[in-house]
Amino acid sequence: MYNTRVRGVLIKGNKSYSQVTKDILEPLYAPKAPTWWKISAFVATVALLLGAWAIYVTISTGIGTWGLNNNVAWGWAIINFVWWIGIGHAGTAFSIFLLIVRQKWRTSINRAAEAMTIFAVMAAGLFPLIHMGRIWDGFFIFPYWNTRGPLWDNFNSPLFWDVTAISTYLTASFLFWYVGMIPDFAIIREQAASKLRRKIYGILSFGWLGNAKGWLRFETAALLMGGMAAPLVVSVHSIVSMDFSVSVIPGWHTTIFPPYFVIGAIFSGFGMVLTLTIIMRKLYKFNDYITDGHLDAVARILTFISLIMGTAYLTELFMAWYSGSEYELFTFMKNRVTGDYTFAYWTMLTCNAIIPQLFWFKKIRKNITAVFIISIFINIGMWFERYVIVVTSLSKDFLPSGWAMYKPTFIEISIYIGTLGLFVLGVLLFFRYVPMIAIHEVKHVLKETSTDPSFAENNSEKH
Amino acid sequence: MDKKLQLSGKFKTAMFVLIAIGIVTVVVGLIQNPVRMWANLLLNNFYFFSLAIGAAFWLAIQAITQSGWSAGLLRIPQAMSNYLIVSMILWALMFFGVHDLYPWTHADAVAHDELLQHKHPYLNLTFFAVRYVVFFLLWIYLTQRIRKLSLEEDKHGGLTYFYKIEFLSKVFIFVFAITFSLFTVDWLMSLDPHWYSTIFPMKYFMSSFYHGSVIITAIVVILWKQGYLPFVNKSHFHDLSRYIFALGIIWAYLWFSQYLLIWYANIPEETIYFVPRTLSYFKFFFYAEVVVNWLFPFLFLMWNRIAKNPNALLFTAVVLSIGHWIELYMTIFPDTVDKHYIGWQEIGTQLGFWGLFALVVGWSLSKMPLIPKNHPYINESLHHHV
Repeated sequence: MYNTRVRGVLIKGNKSYSQVTKDILEPLYAPKAPTWWKISAFVATVALLLGAWAIYVTISTGIGTWGLNNNVAWGWAIINFVWWIGIGHAGTAFSIFLLIVRQKWRTSINRAAEAMTIFAVMAAGLFPLIHMGRIWDGFFIFPYWNTRGPLWDNFNSPLFWDVTAISTYLTASFLFWYVGMIPDFAIIREQAASKLRRKIYGILSFGWLGNAKGWLRFETAALLMGGMAAPLVVSVHSIVSMDFSVSVIPGWHTTIFPPYFVIGAIFSGFGMVLTLTIIMRKLYKFNDYITDGHLDAVARILTFISLIMGTAYLTELFMAWYSGSEYELFTFMKNRVTGDYTFAYWTMLTCNAIIPQLFWFKKIRKNITAVFIISIFINIGMWFERYVIVVTSLSKDFLPSGWAMYKPTFIEISIYIGTLGLFVLGVLLFFRYVPMIAIHEVKHVLKETSTDPSFAENNSEKH
Repeated sequence: MDKKLQLSGKFKTAMFVLIAIGIVTVVVGLIQNPVRMWANLLLNNFYFFSLAIGAAFWLAIQAITQSGWSAGLLRIPQAMSNYLIVSMILWALMFFGVHDLYPWTHADAVAHDELLQHKHPYLNLTFFAVRYVVFFLLWIYLTQRIRKLSLEEDKHGGLTYFYKIEFLSKVFIFVFAITFSLFTVDWLMSLDPHWYSTIFPMKYFMSSFYHGSVIITAIVVILWKQGYLPFVNKSHFHDLSRYIFALGIIWAYLWFSQYLLIWYANIPEETIYFVPRTLSYFKFFFYAEVVVNWLFPFLFLMWNRIAKNPNALLFTAVVLSIGHWIELYMTIFPDTVDKHYIGWQEIGTQLGFWGLFALVVGWSLSKMPLIPKNHPYINESLHHHV
């Protein structure tokens, strides 16, 4: 019944089942990693080491090495934390929401998106930890038997909810990602030439047999985990937003924050998915799997979300005026739209609400270079959104004598570069050792979307 | 396939009786207690307007997501969005009651209130009326255009109409998001002109999508029971109930976000909204709103067999229509009437509006072929199986 004529073919090139396996596993079987891989891995490692050094300095000296001051007590660390968490939303959002609404084109991209989630959330988790200053007391955050009086384990604090939500999310995303890979690992095991490889992938695939019962349970498990993780995705960024919105700071306390943060997170995540899949498709020549149609679909979703973002920005401005509260008005009109942080505010607005509107034009959606550049703009724009939220509201609060500007130090920037290195390195390892596209899921949609004559009786036109 | 809906004489008579009850109630109510009746009229106007526009949004979502399963059901939201025309006319009556409902329309109140003066450039009757006219015309134009294109598609076929509808749906969603937000601020939030909450428009936006989907489901079930939609099977019912289930959760999420953040920050200007709602005679309905609109469908539809059962879905729709009423009651009454009333006025007005809405939707449905013919995905819908 699937109308291929209108919807387009999901997998090009009239692949057979064995061809799919061969294509996707080819990079994994290559005896040597390509040169670009080695160079990028080297650069990412250097970045990671720089970050490690900066974290060492932070811990051994203290967060005085950062550019924070009495007013702006949250700076780059929190900006980057929220930014990474947002990116980390895409994988699960992508897989689960599209699974629930039965979008078949998800199958070529979901694996990469989920992998990205894991590394992004790991990068994000670092920041609150080192922001504690006394990292050796980090275990205080866990709700174990309280021996320290009433001061600790404040269950009323959204910062504590954060720890709970994010660690649950990381676990669930990892499980969801891993479980999805089991049948693919079994394929590698079956094809392995060396004993060692067979052993390793055999363990990784949990002795997968591929019998009917196994598949039945597998699919049920995927659907159940998807159903349970969907609210989790929403909860994580809602709770991150509550770090800000339960306060009474103008610009932070606004009731739209939870959905607004979730939408923003999905926006930034999809932006990163687009960046990553374009790179992946270019480097590994996956054009038959990640077709222009796939990128087109992501671009359309981004246009839609970008409009929601634009509406949210306008709502905020309108309500700041409508409220008639002088503090709200000051924060939005004098400290964001105009004032010391105009650059950040207008970059945010341009990158998130205006530039993605170019996707309305089919010509631009079809031009992959343009799509790639716009996806980078989205990543930048979402970073600035967090910058605007975290810094502007703090820098000028109710007491003008305490107003202060904020500038990051080299140490803070280095930690950020380090997390970028961690992310890139993780993605590179994923490229090298794991099937980048979910083989069994692609095979699942092959029948419905192929124009191959052997599948023809399944195609729509007969009905 | 070309079968059209036949409205039975009994149905028409029953609906006219309901409308007559409504008219009598409104007239007597306006004489006895005008504030209460105007609050009722606002409630019901908003109630059915949001069903119609929510259905239009549902339709637009089907178009932009290129959904195949729902292609056979598109006439129902198209018919529902026809009510917008009637709604615009009825809404014009509201201007006779604005002084009873909106404190900012009183010149002397504005003169003594700095905040209202600040808001005057937005909250003044002229601009208020202009917005009402512009918004309604935009909505009616776009929904009618989409409906006409869909009917043209039936006659001529081809993909051009399909792509045109898709494009118009995008435009509609964009226009709708902004205009509906402002419309909610105008007619619901400004009942208490001092209070504000940024999530407020979004909550009603979601509520209209939610309850619009509920009524679409109910109409599908009713038509199916009459034998009009023979292709509808358990998979369609399941998909419809998934909409209700998911939107119920999202609605609750927005409700909770608003309440939690205001409660937590405890800023007097904001918490004042919840004072009459949680501490006085409205308390029961404050909790009822969440229980009926979220907890009930959440628990009830979680069970797979219930979710596919048309009778259970019809029951859910009845309960959620009450939920929709409670939601708007809790929005409007504490700010205007400030007294907990549920009597013949409330019931009579609601019945009258139901009669009118059912008549408009039924009549619109009878005027077009019930199942779209040349929709490119119609086969995906006629043979829908999950």
